[in-house]
Amino acid sequence: MKPAILITITSTVVLGTMIVLFSSHWFMIWVGFEMNMLAIIPILMKKYNPRAMEASTKYFLTQATASMLLMLSIIINLLCSGHWTVSTIPNPVASTMITIALTMKLGLSPFHFWVPEVTQGISLSSGMILLTWQKIAPLSILYQISPSVNSNLLLMMAITSMLVGGWGGLNQTQLRKILAYSSITHMGWMAAIMVYNPTLAILNLTIYIMMTLGTFMLFMHSSSTTTLSLSYTWNKFPLMAPLILMLMLSLGGLPPLSGFIPKWMIIQELTKNDMIIMPTLMAITALLNLYFYTRLTYTTALTMFPATNNMKMKWQFETTKKTTLLAPLIVTSTMLLPLTPMLAALD
Amino acid sequence: MMTYIVSILSIVFVVSFAGFSSKPSPIYGGLVLIVSGGVGCGIVLSFGGSFLGLMVFLIYLGGMLVVFGYTTAMATEQYPEVWLSNKAVLGAFIVGLLSELLSVCYILKDDEAEVVFKFNGMGDWVIYDTGDSGIFSEEAMGIAALYSYGTWLVIVTGWSLLIGVLVIMEVTRGN
Repeated sequence: MKPAILITITSTVVLGTMIVLFSSHWFMIWVGFEMNMLAIIPILMKKYNPRAMEASTKYFLTQATASMLLMLSIIINLLCSGHWTVSTIPNPVASTMITIALTMKLGLSPFHFWVPEVTQGISLSSGMILLTWQKIAPLSILYQISPSVNSNLLLMMAITSMLVGGWGGLNQTQLRKILAYSSITHMGWMAAIMVYNPTLAILNLTIYIMMTLGTFMLFMHSSSTTTLSLSYTWNKFPLMAPLILMLMLSLGGLPPLSGFIPKWMIIQELTKNDMIIMPTLMAITALLNLYFYTRLTYTTALTMFPATNNMKMKWQFETTKKTTLLAPLIVTSTMLLPLTPMLAALD
Repeated sequence: MMTYIVSILSIVFVVSFAGFSSKPSPIYGGLVLIVSGGVGCGIVLSFGGSFLGLMVFLIYLGGMLVVFGYTTAMATEQYPEVWLSNKAVLGAFIVGLLSELLSVCYILKDDEAEVVFKFNGMGDWVIYDTGDSGIFSEEAMGIAALYSYGTWLVIVTGWSLLIGVLVIMEVTRGN
């Protein structure tokens, strides 16, 4: 893509999300979502193979349907409340429909089917933008309407997302699909706490974005998209192997790494609200995710995966790929636990 | 008849939506789109928005749909699908018509229906006046306000249209 067009389109993706974040008029929020979706289609279609086009088409169809649902519920809200301001939504029909529209955009179960297929069909850098930046806008709207969201609906979606994300990722060897199922699970954790303490959902989003960005950058550095090619890391980039270990375990939510912070705070907040079974189920289903993260760690950093001999004795070239921001991302994704009291006071 | 003009136009509007949603060939879809666009203009005109209705006629129908018609004529196939040639299209059209007829009957049988909001019979949709407040036309004032209070909206809309064109060119480039 020509650089001028790429700059314009990328800035429109950012502008669309900014419009969603900073608008108080429901119509402008819808416009921001549409601008965001329209501009990210060429980014998803960077490579012109049929797989990428199919993935972009699937993304476009699901997001356009969600935007239509959002517009319908905005109009119903206008009919019942009489104003266009983003605030709590008095009408239960409008509130449920906005929740469904936003969860379709996020990829929560039962609207999760597009996430693995779209993430697998696109390049690693497009997948990075898809799984991190695109989650900011819908979650910000959920944050703003969280007092009026139907808690039963959102909690059902959250727990099914965690189950789907856990079980779905178990049989995967393709890294992009693994990260897609990881995204579904983390969105489930964010949706679960949105009803009770939306601040923690934003905290979870921040830490998830940092971890996922770091993971994607490590994968892009070694251009590995399968578990097999990731297992050559010990020879190609020896420093990356323990970094992948730390990042995967942080994604899995193990203390003393940063990934534990959101899980800990969410479970604490849920138990403060007299829910015992739900956080127990959530903690148990997080083990499913942890299994495939540790399997990736095992094949990358802890064992020498079966490989042909020419993969075990590579020429050690100096790398010319830029690792922009990789070091700070890895540090923040793994070492933020001592700062938890400060992070929980974000409001 | 003039009091019921909005109802009649709305019926034609909805029937033509069923017509192109049943997916005939694009030529026939474009034909029905012209009809539905024209009738939609008529509805806007009946509510007093003369400028907006004429804008839709000129720009949408007279500009965009004409270009659409020409490009479809260039890319059309030898035997395009019409509503009567393909059972799937005919079936979809009849299903659409029947569901609209059923919803109209449901509303008319009680003269009042509550789906999401209360709809009190035909009284809501009959035109008694054009909605002017008397001194100035609200609709023209609204358009003027778009360029004074609504500058941000104009900027965003213009940028979205530019991005739409860029995205479509980027997507169809293909190399």
